[in-house]
Amino acid sequence: MPQGNLSFPFSAVFGMDDSKRAIMCAAVCPRIRTVLIRGGPGSAKTVLSRAAGDLTGRRVVNVPLNVTEEMLFGGMDAEATIREGRAVMQRGLLSEADGNILYVDDANLMDQRMLASLLDCVATGRVVVEREGVSGEYACDTLMIATMNPQDTDVSPHLLDRFDLCAYSDFPQDDVRGREEILRRNSAFADDPEGFAAMYADEESELRAGIDRAKRILPLVTISDDLLGVAVELAARVSADGFRGDIAMAETASALAALNGRDEVLRKDVEEAAMICLAHRRNYSQPPPPPEPPQQQEAQDQEGEPDREPPEQPQDDRQDDRDDSSEPPEPPEGEPPDLPQDLRDMLDEMMFEIGEQFRVIDYLQDGRRMIRTTSSRKGRRAMAESSDSTGRYARSRIPEGRVSDVAFDATIRAAAPYQKGRRHGGLAVSIEKQDIRRKVRERRSGCTILFLVDASGSLGVRRRMAAVKGAVLSMLRDSYVKRDRIGMMAFRRDSAELVLPPTRSVEYSYRKLEELPTGGKTPLGQALVTVGEFMTSYSRSHPGESCYIVLITDGRANVPLREGADANEESRELAADLRIPQVRWIVVDASTGYIRFDNAERLAEELEGTYFRLEDLNADRLADSVRSVIG
Amino acid sequence: MDISSNLVRPMDKLLFPFVSIVGQEDMKRALLLNIVDPGIGGALIKGEKGTAKSTTVRSLSQILPSRTAVPGCPFGCDPSRTDRLCPYCAERFASEGPLPSEEVPMRVVELPLSATEDRVSGTLDIEHVLKTGEKRFEPGVLAQANGNLLYVDEVNLLDDHIVDPLLDSAAMGVNYVEREGVSFSHPSRFVLVGTMNPEEGELRPQLLDRFGLSVDVRGDRDTAKRMEVVRRRLAFDSDPEGYTASLREETESMRRRISDARAALSKVSIPDPVLEAVVNITTHFGVDGHRADITMLKAARANAALEGRPAVIADDIRAVATPVLSHRMRRRPFEEEAFDPEELETCLKGI
Repeated sequence: MPQGNLSFPFSAVFGMDDSKRAIMCAAVCPRIRTVLIRGGPGSAKTVLSRAAGDLTGRRVVNVPLNVTEEMLFGGMDAEATIREGRAVMQRGLLSEADGNILYVDDANLMDQRMLASLLDCVATGRVVVEREGVSGEYACDTLMIATMNPQDTDVSPHLLDRFDLCAYSDFPQDDVRGREEILRRNSAFADDPEGFAAMYADEESELRAGIDRAKRILPLVTISDDLLGVAVELAARVSADGFRGDIAMAETASALAALNGRDEVLRKDVEEAAMICLAHRRNYSQPPPPPEPPQQQEAQDQEGEPDREPPEQPQDDRQDDRDDSSEPPEPPEGEPPDLPQDLRDMLDEMMFEIGEQFRVIDYLQDGRRMIRTTSSRKGRRAMAESSDSTGRYARSRIPEGRVSDVAFDATIRAAAPYQKGRRHGGLAVSIEKQDIRRKVRERRSGCTILFLVDASGSLGVRRRMAAVKGAVLSMLRDSYVKRDRIGMMAFRRDSAELVLPPTRSVEYSYRKLEELPTGGKTPLGQALVTVGEFMTSYSRSHPGESCYIVLITDGRANVPLREGADANEESRELAADLRIPQVRWIVVDASTGYIRFDNAERLAEELEGTYFRLEDLNADRLADSVRSVIG
Repeated sequence: MDISSNLVRPMDKLLFPFVSIVGQEDMKRALLLNIVDPGIGGALIKGEKGTAKSTTVRSLSQILPSRTAVPGCPFGCDPSRTDRLCPYCAERFASEGPLPSEEVPMRVVELPLSATEDRVSGTLDIEHVLKTGEKRFEPGVLAQANGNLLYVDEVNLLDDHIVDPLLDSAAMGVNYVEREGVSFSHPSRFVLVGTMNPEEGELRPQLLDRFGLSVDVRGDRDTAKRMEVVRRRLAFDSDPEGYTASLREETESMRRRISDARAALSKVSIPDPVLEAVVNITTHFGVDGHRADITMLKAARANAALEGRPAVIADDIRAVATPVLSHRMRRRPFEEEAFDPEELETCLKGI
């Protein structure tokens, strides 16, 4: 890792073409203000962001993850307030970022509400402060570079859309030569930072000159109606919501043209722009880009600059790894009537290209894709306030009654304006009762309930599903008040599928439930494995959350994981081994009929869970029973 | 390299012109109706991301009419409404008689998500009260909002303890601040406008009820329209001043249309059949409470005023029925909203 004053040169960062391109575009176009770099640990996200500062001659202002609203946006300047006897505002970190680069590492771990405010400030270029007796406004014209590790919880789609550009920086694991090169450059830099920087000095100054030139060209760049139409249609084809994607496409394609020294947007600019403008806006709940019509890829060499290679796309060897479930369905119907045939062809070809590239992204994101699939998934915006003195000090509040957890900073600020008029009795600061503020602490919110539902056709499916749906709905209904999240995973045939990722949103989840398919065999073992993986990762990214899995099944497995094994025996073994942190089990026995099997009951024992019978299939009673366990 | 030279200073940054926003007619209408008659009770705008929700609301400041205020009053009291004065103006009115008056522009006051409760309600300096017997009050956002439009972006993410004073003021038109037995109150009447993305969670029912109108916005799927959106945005971004200037005429006529409608509002007559139809509709759609009736009537009247009509007609009701009813209809949980335009037509037959 580079240390000291000298940072790793931008041009020496190997690969990461999309990330570099995104940053270059933002450096050229002042309307591109937010760039998100998604990549696993060690994918040079941080290095690149710091290098961007050097490249553009701007200071990089770092936002620490534990930043308080006070520090970020601003608040009262206690010292000045005491001195002057009136409330004086102190600007926050965002003021330092004005004219500079704002760097937010691990943006997905930031409190989502704060991130929403932050993105709004950066987008509008101004910060409005209404806090603790001060009221003010200041400029914040900045380029925000945020990074996130997609292996952690994702940013909600709503916030993701707020990022003008998003680059996926994962490095293909099997590119051995690339990895060697990275290693070589890193050690060369570590050994002799100055010498290394000197090696790249020419490239760096070329890049700088390119950016300067592009800034001058940008106001002159034009985009033809045809290409604008294609850009807009591309956004529509990936089902991007809203207009941010379209606008970003136009701005980015123009910036790319300017970077190439052209005053006219070409097709390849639009293509490149799509990768960084649309990948994160792509809506998975609707059909992904169609990969069908392959005229062929001579698309690439449309007047390209020799020094700008297309990004590495290790697509071909990856194709086979994808399982069937991610096979893109039919292309969306309804061609726009206002595009002439040649443009439509161009669009289809481009869509093909982009579809391929997106699939690489999906592959890199791997299992994460599933979590991204619905738009109902929320971030962790609603942190639960914790009543004891644990959790993060998020803000202060005027107390009711006795206070033990005093927010000293806020208390002093509250007292500050009145210091001149108060009797001090030898004390430096005179604090009176009405100044006291208490800390509001937050912890990730309370409770997630995941229904793991046997959707196989083995018995009374319809009645059981009715009860399950009813129970899920009944629990969702009051989840708003209780701040619970409800999710659902169903298993049938040979796999388990996350039908409803944990959510608080009622409307969206209802549709998911309606569509739940049923029938087929009972892959209980597979279900336990899948839910184990999901919940382990989930509970890790939601520390402090208590999670419950409500398993609704008759417990009669008939699809073993290992060929030839006894499915029931196997699922009990799996259950005994399955330990997920913060997770408790509730097993609801859905078996009916004269002959009762004890499969579900034994499963509950192995899982050390609470056992219920779904006797009369009453939705409200099921919900109540689950609630009684959760308490 | 000089960085700041090519950055626009945000303070003088122009907002995208309201009249240039493509489509989104429902949202625009809901907002305009509220400006014509602030008694409608505000608007909630729900919609998917990136559909110009915030842009539209913020740009309203360009077309908001002017209003009268007592010069220098921190609460922006309206001198013509002596029943709604802050304690300072009330005292002055009692001792000096009629209050001075000035024309001020109506503003869009924004409530940032990061606001603290003392800045929302304002704070009372108890010490000063006790020592001098005089109330000293540090006005907050609810004071600034009086007579203006209060905009809450991401209203569904707002903390509950901030929502509470907001609800109280919206309901009563007065902001009460109580601390240790000393109380202070000032008028706080505003048009409450909230925007939200329902994917992020739903709104507290109490807050939902508070909004007079509710509209759902969606991005336009039509390629030509989307291209127009991007074209206008690019044109604006490349030359904000020039672009805004080119639309000055249109903006001005919109502003005139609003002030004319405001002036005409009280003269718009409501024929009896219209009144009956409104009650029929709310009964038919199972909306309880008189608030829906009143809101629908007010919204329809504002719509007639905006269209320059002397009396409310069936079209006015058609225009406002969905935003008035959609969030009030008693929906069994998880049922799709069942607003049937045909049923509406049967209710309107009498007119």
